[in-house]
Amino acid sequence: MSILQNFTLGQFVPSDSFVHRLDPRSKFLFLLVYAVVVFLSNQIWLYAVFTAILIFSLRLSKLSLAYIFRGLKPVWFLLVFTIILQLFLTKGGEVYVQWGWFSIEEDGVRQAFFIAMRLGLIVVMSSLLTLTTSPMDLTDGIEKMLGPFKKIGLPVHELALMLSIAIRFIPTLLEETDKIMKAQMSRGANFESGGMISRAKAMIAIVIPLFVSAFRRAEDLALAMEARGYRGDVGRTKLRQLAFSYRDGLVIVFMILMVVAVGVWRV
Amino acid sequence: MQISFENVSYVYGKGTPFEKAAISDVSFSIPSGSFVGVIGQTGSGKSTLIQHVNGLLKPSAGTIRVGEIAITPETKKVHSLRSKVGLVFQYPEHQLFEETVIQDVMYGPLNFDLPKDLAYQRAKEALEIVGLPFEEIKDRSPFHLSGGQMRRVAIAGVLAMQPKVLVLDEPTAGLDPAGRKAILNGIYQIHKAEQLTTLLVTHSMEEVARYADQLLVLANGRVAMQGTPEEVFSKKEELRELALDVPETVSFVHRLNERLPKDQQLSPTLYKEEDLTAYLLTLLQQKKGEGR
Ligand SMILES: Nc1ncnc2c1ncn2[C@@H]1O[C@H](COP(=O)(O)OP(=O)(O)OP(=O)(O)O)[C@@H](O)[C@H]1O
Ligand SMILES: [Mg+2]
Repeated sequence: MSILQNFTLGQFVPSDSFVHRLDPRSKFLFLLVYAVVVFLSNQIWLYAVFTAILIFSLRLSKLSLAYIFRGLKPVWFLLVFTIILQLFLTKGGEVYVQWGWFSIEEDGVRQAFFIAMRLGLIVVMSSLLTLTTSPMDLTDGIEKMLGPFKKIGLPVHELALMLSIAIRFIPTLLEETDKIMKAQMSRGANFESGGMISRAKAMIAIVIPLFVSAFRRAEDLALAMEARGYRGDVGRTKLRQLAFSYRDGLVIVFMILMVVAVGVWRV
Repeated sequence: MQISFENVSYVYGKGTPFEKAAISDVSFSIPSGSFVGVIGQTGSGKSTLIQHVNGLLKPSAGTIRVGEIAITPETKKVHSLRSKVGLVFQYPEHQLFEETVIQDVMYGPLNFDLPKDLAYQRAKEALEIVGLPFEEIKDRSPFHLSGGQMRRVAIAGVLAMQPKVLVLDEPTAGLDPAGRKAILNGIYQIHKAEQLTTLLVTHSMEEVARYADQLLVLANGRVAMQGTPEEVFSKKEELRELALDVPETVSFVHRLNERLPKDQQLSPTLYKEEDLTAYLLTLLQQKKGEGR
């Protein structure tokens, strides 16, 4: 994948670090709680603690920092955009800079800082989840956690299956796109320059073959599943059972401490 | 056009945990007008190598020369190279997209700014080379053809650009024997007629024995052997170690020579099926003549 190789956002990296070996459910729960407490906090020093927790988790995962941050490239733009919006549009408190009707005020700076920290911390923590959890474990975890909702008629198994198929086929589709792009480029297609119309026309040469192959794949997959006796959720057992270990216990205890601390110190 | 690779390496996913060196320090040179068979085990780097010839992949290190054009890791513009090097991918039928066969075949020539009537003319010729009945097929949808016909249309789409260098990545994979032969014969004819330089990637030793005059053997992303088919096929043991085999004809000659007396040994140049059968026929007819 030469052309699309920057799309590494959250792609699973196999390894056997502490974080990799956690049960997906505890990772999910931790991420959820972390996101909530990060959002509710309004003390600058608490954000120092959250950043420390994040750095500690990253260390535990043994992933290379450069790789993690490269995968976040698409998010930078969003982050900078929100910071600028907050900086200029939130009014109140002391005025720092003033050019005509244009001003940066104390509350704006404060808000921009909080938003940046919140988004940044949560995005990195969530990419840590997908980087250290195989898609299989991820969807198994989701299915298990949503299990209780089956009683009220939510098609949990089907949702989890759809999700896992979607995740499974993202790299395949990217590869396919790359291959088709290369094939059309070999026939002189130019996706990089030219006007709007010529570029849109060039895209057709990618989109149509891509759709054709996606449908063919979907049909093949459905057929292969039926041929191997897939009949939905009923009576289906799992090859790999999820199980909690002492590691998950540690994470849960840590999580409770975190919630209590934030509850006490939040003013 | 002459093609040469000078210490070319390519690494997929550089700087990620999925980093993978697909070819390393590859150097070789192909004279203009030769028909080169590129062989090697699955994953040995054949597809990666050939994508460098028209600049789809830029080398991580090293230089590729195609005629006068050089490609280095810094090269930006490659559009002119693409009109000179036609590349047929593995399963090229997956790249078809136009409403009709003729439009799809004309896609390449039109991209290189050929006038419509000339593009049409070239498309017609290309479809005839790959053995498709032009009038019958030109207005049909490419998606309603059989797999083999789609493959031929896709190959015609590259031939219609009238490249000077033709690169084919397993063009016959998954076809029936007659279809394989027909397609390759068409390609071989155009190779001779237009004096193309052709690279054929294949897993079939029979195919390289029949068409190639040069062989390039890859193993683990490196050039393991290069030479004429005769030279390469004489190193049977080395090929074995690379999980490759010699063609049936070569092992036949080998086994026959074990039984024949010293003065009647068959020459190792008889690796083409036609040559071998022709030789054996004359030999048998001679014997019959003597017997009478
Ligand atoms: N898009 C890619 N991303 C990462 N690695 C790749 C990619 N394409 C190929 N590789 C790796 O590079 C190596 C060479 O692959 P390549 O496709 O060139 O082999 P090949 O000789 O064409 O094999 P085959 O005969 O199966 O077509 C393989 O180890 C493969 O896993
Ligand atoms: Mg290949």
